[in-house]
This record gives sequence, structure tokens and C-alpha cells, in this order.
Amino acid sequence: MTVVPARSSQWVRPVTSQEPASAIIEIDHVSQIFQTSARKDHVALSDISLTIEEGAFVSILGPSGCGKSTLLYIVGGFVSPTSGSAKIKGHAITGPGPDRGPVFQEFALFPWKTVLGNVMYGPRQQGVRAAEAEAQSRALIEMVGLKGYENFYPKELSGGMKQRVALARTLAYHPEVLLMDEPFGALDAHTRTRLQNDLLSIWERDRKTVLFVTHSVDEAVFLSDKVVMMSKSPGRIREVIDIDLPRPRRRNELLLDPRYQKYVVDIERMFDESDEAGPAS
Amino acid sequence: MSPAALLRRVAPVLACIGLLAVWQVASLALKNDSFPTATEAIRAIPDILGDKESLINILASLRRMALGFGVAVLVSIPLGLLMGRSRSVAAFFNPLLMVIYPVPKAALMPIIMLWLGVGDVTKTLVIFLGVSLPVIYHSFEGAKAVEEKMLWSGAAMGLSPAQRLVRIVLPAALPEILTGCRTGLVLALITMITSEMIARQSGAGNILFNALDMGQYDTVFAMIIIVGAMGICLDAIFERVRARLVRWSEPQFDMPLSFS
Ligand SMILES: Nc1ncnc2c1ncn2[C@@H]1O[C@H](COP(=O)(O)OP(=O)(O)OP(=O)(O)O)[C@@H](O)[C@H]1O
Ligand SMILES: [Mg+2]
Repeated sequence: MTVVPARSSQWVRPVTSQEPASAIIEIDHVSQIFQTSARKDHVALSDISLTIEEGAFVSILGPSGCGKSTLLYIVGGFVSPTSGSAKIKGHAITGPGPDRGPVFQEFALFPWKTVLGNVMYGPRQQGVRAAEAEAQSRALIEMVGLKGYENFYPKELSGGMKQRVALARTLAYHPEVLLMDEPFGALDAHTRTRLQNDLLSIWERDRKTVLFVTHSVDEAVFLSDKVVMMSKSPGRIREVIDIDLPRPRRRNELLLDPRYQKYVVDIERMFDESDEAGPAS
Repeated sequence: MSPAALLRRVAPVLACIGLLAVWQVASLALKNDSFPTATEAIRAIPDILGDKESLINILASLRRMALGFGVAVLVSIPLGLLMGRSRSVAAFFNPLLMVIYPVPKAALMPIIMLWLGVGDVTKTLVIFLGVSLPVIYHSFEGAKAVEEKMLWSGAAMGLSPAQRLVRIVLPAALPEILTGCRTGLVLALITMITSEMIARQSGAGNILFNALDMGQYDTVFAMIIIVGAMGICLDAIFERVRARLVRWSEPQFDMPLSFS
């Protein structure tokens, strides 16, 4: 198995900080309060402020229910925050747009479309010619390891396969910012590692901004420039950790790197502490 | 073909034969003038279908039914989908529909006849009313159940609200919509006959009830068989179309509604 597709090496360039990074997403004092069915207010997010630089890979890590998905929805424009504001490139986010591509935890594939139909949907909507959209989509489907499944319907796929289709479907329309909600959550360890590598090589090539929600500390450290640690009840940012590890990253090298190991251990300890805090019921 | 598949094929035929056999035995046992045997009724069928007048009547029925059903589906699906996706549209139409739903549509016929006469318009309108409600209801439920993230995915790809309704809500709700249409089709047949019972003038129902008045019981039962056969055929055709349209959704056992 090739860890990184051989092709991609020509695009990989060492990350240097010669150009001053500019903010692409600004989240400014965002709070989100939900009305529960018991007519009580539930604070899902409390006073979140976060700036994400263009081209950065940022992971959001935190216990279940701390508002990671909600934060992603706000950036996606699917949910408007109860208070505070979110901006993309200096403009207030008022709704969804093709500049931000979500990959949902629930996949949300179109069940009446085949794998190919799902992946082609975005490019076709954006006016890419059918033949071209199909060629690109087939390449993406191959990349996520689903060659041969082009004409399968979502109901005929396993959970992990659906997740990979969802990823390919979003990548297909080239959003500037990827909003990924535990995109590798339903995958087996092997596929997960492979897709992490693929995602990294895509990212190193295109330098899209990625906002990546995960439960896995390993995954967050391996992929990210920055890890945002959240805590629960109410959901707030606990700590933002810069991951100062060289790129391009190779899994086999990184696992042996003491700096990587220290990040993982430190963050895991923090994670445990915030978990123990538990829900303030 | 496997034995199971073969059985599935012939099962409806066996059911029909069984039903006719029970009828035959019951009728022979009862020896009642107004209850002809199955063979007598079947023997009367060619007479009806060979008669030009009768054929014109039956075709007129079918035409009204097709028109009432078609217009109802065309109006009800968009309305149901809109209601399912917009709370204010639902809040406006729901009470109206709740009032109309339990009223037997045939019971409205005398009033409609006063306004529009006993002709085609009245009967088609009644069929339209009978078909609309289940189709609206199922389209509404189908649209309501569409997964929000699916709509969000569409919005992120740049689909406008109207495009999302047509290109996401409609296909996603299609299995449910077609369930409503199938119920609607059966109701169309029922309201077609009842409307012709109330406003005699032409149609399959007219032949049936005229024969009843004149005590031609073999014709009455022959007409019942013909109407039943029409139901089975329409349902089978519809099921073909439905299965083709929603092949992507859950696998299922198909049993024509007429037999369930
Ligand atoms: N539509 C809603 N109505 C009411 N409460 C909601 C709604 N959506 C989310 N919440 C609440 O907000 C909190 C955050 O939810 P969210 O889905 O963002 O968590 P999460 O961090 O993504 O969790 P997980 O890791 O399990 O996916 C939860 O406590 C949840 O109960
Ligand atoms: Mg979540």
C-alpha cells in the first residue's frame, strides 16, 4: 500500500511561513442557545471566539455534546447563532454557499442517486459539463477507494463506504473551506489511516482551509496546524494548541517523533480532565 | 424461475380462482335469484363488453377518472410538499384539510350537483376531491421527513430554495408520495362508481345500477367483476411504474393493494 499516492509528491511543498497568513474565518463571541422540548434554555455554545487562517488545518476536539457540530453548522451558515457573529473573508455569514463544503456526521447522501450521481451533483450544479464532471468524479471515487461501486445506490453501501462517498461528494465541487464533522468516524482503522493520508496530501496540494471535528486525539495531532480543545456544559473553548510539527507529515515518521507523542499525551490528559467535569445538570 | 418466484407469479391467479370457486359454491347453496353463480356472471361479461353503448359508458367513466386523478395528483403533490417544508403553508391548509378529510366525498355530490349539474364536471370534481386528500397527506408527510442535512448539502452546493424543493424534497419524498397516489388510485375508482350511482347518466356505475333496478342480476355481478378487474389492472400498472421510479429505496415485498 502506498501511504501517499505517488502522484501527489510533486505538489507537496514544504510549509514555510513566508507569506503572512490572513484570516479566512472569524468567529466572534458566538453563543448558541437551544430551546429544549421542556422549554428550558440549553446553552450549546458559550462565547466562542476563534480565528482561522486561510489554508490552515484546524481540528476541533471535545467530548460528545460540547457543541462541535453546532459550531460547524454556524460556520456553514446552516444555523444562525443566538448571539455573536461569524464571518468569512470579512463578510458576515448569512447562509450556506459553495465556498464552504460540509461533510456531515450523518453522511446525508442523496439516496435516489448512485455513488457517481452523488459525487457529480455538486459540479453539475456549478455548471461543469457532464463529461468533465463525470471524469473528475470517477477520479475522486477511485481516490476514496470506491472504484467499481460507481453505480451502487447508497442503501447498498456500508457505513464506512457512505462516509467516503460523502467526502468525495464535497471535494468534488472544490469548496475553499472544508467543514468536516467526524468524517472518518465510521471507518475501520486501516481505511481511516489511508483516508487521513489522502486528505493530508489533498490539503498539502490545494491548501484548502479545513475545519475538522474529531474525537480522536491522534487524528487531530497528526493532521492539524491547530487543535481547538472544547469543554462541555456550556460548550466553550478551553485551549487552542498550535501543533508545531514539520510537514509534509508521514505517519510512520511521526509516530516515532517524541514531539508528536508529547502532544498526544498532553492533549489526552486535558481531554480526560474536561470529560471528568461532566455535564452540569 | 425458482419455485418461490413461480408461486409469487401465480398466487394472484390462484386467489382469483379461489374467490370465484367460493362464490360459485355459495350461490349454488343459497339458490337465491338475486345471487347468480360465478359462471352466470362471467357469461354475461362478453355481452356487456360487446355492446357499443356499454363500452362508451365504461370509457366515459375511465376518462373522468383519469382526468380527476391526474389533476388531483398534479395539484396535490406540490401543495403537500410545500406544506411539509413550510410551517406557515401547513398552518393555513391543515385545518381546511382536516375539515374535508372525514367527509365522504360522495356525500358532497348532491350539493355539487346543484351548482354544476349532473354532468362530467361534477363527477370529475368528486373524483378529484377523493384523490387529493391522501396524495396531499402522503406528500406532506414525505416532505416533512426529508433529512435536514440533505437539504443543507444541497444548499451548500448552491441550490436555491425552489430548486431544493424540486430536486431534493420531491425525489426524497417520492416513495411516500407514490404510496399516497396508490391509495388515491383506488379511491378514484371507488368515487367514480359512487358518483355514477348518485348522478346516473352514463358510466360503468350507471350500467350496474340500471341492471340492479331491472333485476338483471347476472349483469350486476358481471359489472362488479369488470370493475374489480379494472382495479387490479390499474393497480398492477401503477405498481410497475412505482417500482421503476423508486428502485433506489428500500427493497420490499410487493403485493398489489387489491389483494392485501
Ligand atoms: N436542534 C437542537 N435543539 C436542541 N438542542 C440541540 C440541538 N442541536 C444540538 N443541541 C444540543 O446542543 C449540544 C451540542 O450538540 P452538538 O451536536 O453540537 O454536539 P457535538 O459536540 O457535535 O457532539 P458529538 O461529538 O456527539 O457529535 C448538545 O447538548 C445537544 O443536546
Ligand atoms: Mg457532532
